[in-house]
Order: sequence, then C-alpha cells, then structure tokens
Amino acid sequence: MSKYVPYVLLAGAAALFPYCVQRVFLHTPIEAEMGTAQKIFYFHVPLAWICMLFAVVCGIAAGIQLSKRSERAEAVAVAAGEMTVLAGLGVLITGPIWGDATWGTPWTGDARQVSTALLWLVFVAYLLVRRYGPSNSERIAAALAIFGAIDVPIIYYAVKIWKTTHPQTGVVGSLPDSMWNTLWVCLLALMMLSVAFVWIRAGQERTASALDRAWIAAESPLPKPA
Amino acid sequence: MNPIEAETKKVEGRDPATVRLKREYEAEVENKVASDYSHIVWAYGIIWALFAIYGVILWRRSVAQRADLDALTAKLAGK
Repeated sequence: MSKYVPYVLLAGAAALFPYCVQRVFLHTPIEAEMGTAQKIFYFHVPLAWICMLFAVVCGIAAGIQLSKRSERAEAVAVAAGEMTVLAGLGVLITGPIWGDATWGTPWTGDARQVSTALLWLVFVAYLLVRRYGPSNSERIAAALAIFGAIDVPIIYYAVKIWKTTHPQTGVVGSLPDSMWNTLWVCLLALMMLSVAFVWIRAGQERTASALDRAWIAAESPLPKPA
Repeated sequence: MNPIEAETKKVEGRDPATVRLKREYEAEVENKVASDYSHIVWAYGIIWALFAIYGVILWRRSVAQRADLDALTAKLAGK
C-alpha cells in the first residue's frame, strides 16, 4: 500500500500546480512596494522552508545512522540530502533573480544569503563524500549532514541577529489573507512533490543496497558440503 | 448663452509638460512590469526545470535498477 503513496502525492502535486499559478497571477493582488516581481515569493519561500526541513531530516537520519547503523535511516538521509541540495539550488537561483528585480542587485552578501549558500555547499559536500568517498566514508558523510543541519537555525535567526537586506521572519505572518492563502497552496504543492521524490529516492537507495548484497551472494562460490 | 452651451462643459487641454510627465511615468511603469515578468518567467522556469530534471534522473535510476534486478534474476535462474 505504501508504495502507492509517492504516486498519489505526485498526482496531487500535478493537479495543484496549475491552480497555484492561477491563484498567484489571477487571484492574488500585486504587492504595492515590490510590484509584480513579488510573485516570485510564492515559490521562493516554500522552497527555502523545504530546503531547511530536509536539511534537518537529513541531519536527524544521519544521527540515527551513526548511532544505530540503520539502513533505513541511511536511505532517508541520502534522499533528504539530495532534496536539500535541489531545493537549496532553487532558493539560491530564485533569490538573486528576485533581488535583482527589487533590490537592484542579485547578491548583497547578507547573512541569510551567505548562510543559505553555506548550507547548500555542506550538503553538496555530504553527497560527494557519500558517493565518491572511500569505504566507511558514510560516517564522515553523516557527520557532515549533522553539521549542515546545525546551520538551519543560523539561517532562520540570521535576519534577527545581523542587519540584513532580507525581510524579518515575521513578515510572512503579517501578510493579508489573499497572499497568505496563496503561499500555503504553493507550499502544499511543492511539499507534496518533495516528499514524493524523497520517498521514491529513499526506496531506490534501499533497493540498491539489497541488490548489491544479492549480487555479492550470487557471485560468491557456494559452500562445499562437509 | 444659448441652452446647448449651458449644458456642455468647455474642454480644457492639459499642458504639454504635464502630458510628457504622465507619459514618462507610464513608460517607467511599463518597463518595470515588463522587467518583473521577465524575472518571474526565469524564476518559475528554473524551479520547474530543476524538479523536472530531478524527476527524470529518478525515473532513469529506477529503470536501471529494474534492469539490474532482471539480470540478477536471469543469473540466479541459470545457476
């Protein structure tokens, strides 16, 4: 039954995305100060939340993998790590595009931008070590993922601790209902898509491990009868 | 004044300086909206392209795993 869950989520996301676009462009008012470019917000912010969520998931799963040597946790960590890199790349590209339209410059080097870029680089390093590292590098990779997850609260509080060009975290809560509802619909669509991809990827990782073990067993010589 | 003149209002044209200023504002807004739309198209396009590419990678990986499983099954059957 659970094998159908990601496909149900994918179907839900596919149905929801056209509605998101319709809501964003036809039913949500244009923000007074930033103008039409503010509509990038409805996908940029959910992507940032998804990036941070899966960074934390990856860190926790990596911690479980380190302490219990759980294969399931390892698969979840790898899948969540890939999603962190994917969503992070989306954030790091759409953010400067939005910045170019509203601030007049794509990169101001503020604390939130830099800490998000660092998070992305740490998880890229995690995936590279995981894929190309020597045997037993899983433990180093897991430590990297935990280190990366610690960056998430730094990103969140960056706008409170340092002076940044990014708006404060409370700005989302102060949105009018029309913008707030659109944001949630877009978040739901992107979250369904992300969870589906992470689910499928984690399944593939476990299948790959099972296949490796089966190949080793199939190619090893049969024990001679005593 | 005849009754028709009394019911109508004299048309007063805008002075050319005000008209030019209004046109400049309109052109500025037009450029801003065009630039905003260009930014939005790039941002949305890149997001969807990233997810679509990742989806294709997952699908290809799934196909490769199925082929690997078939090869293993064939090997075990022939053993």
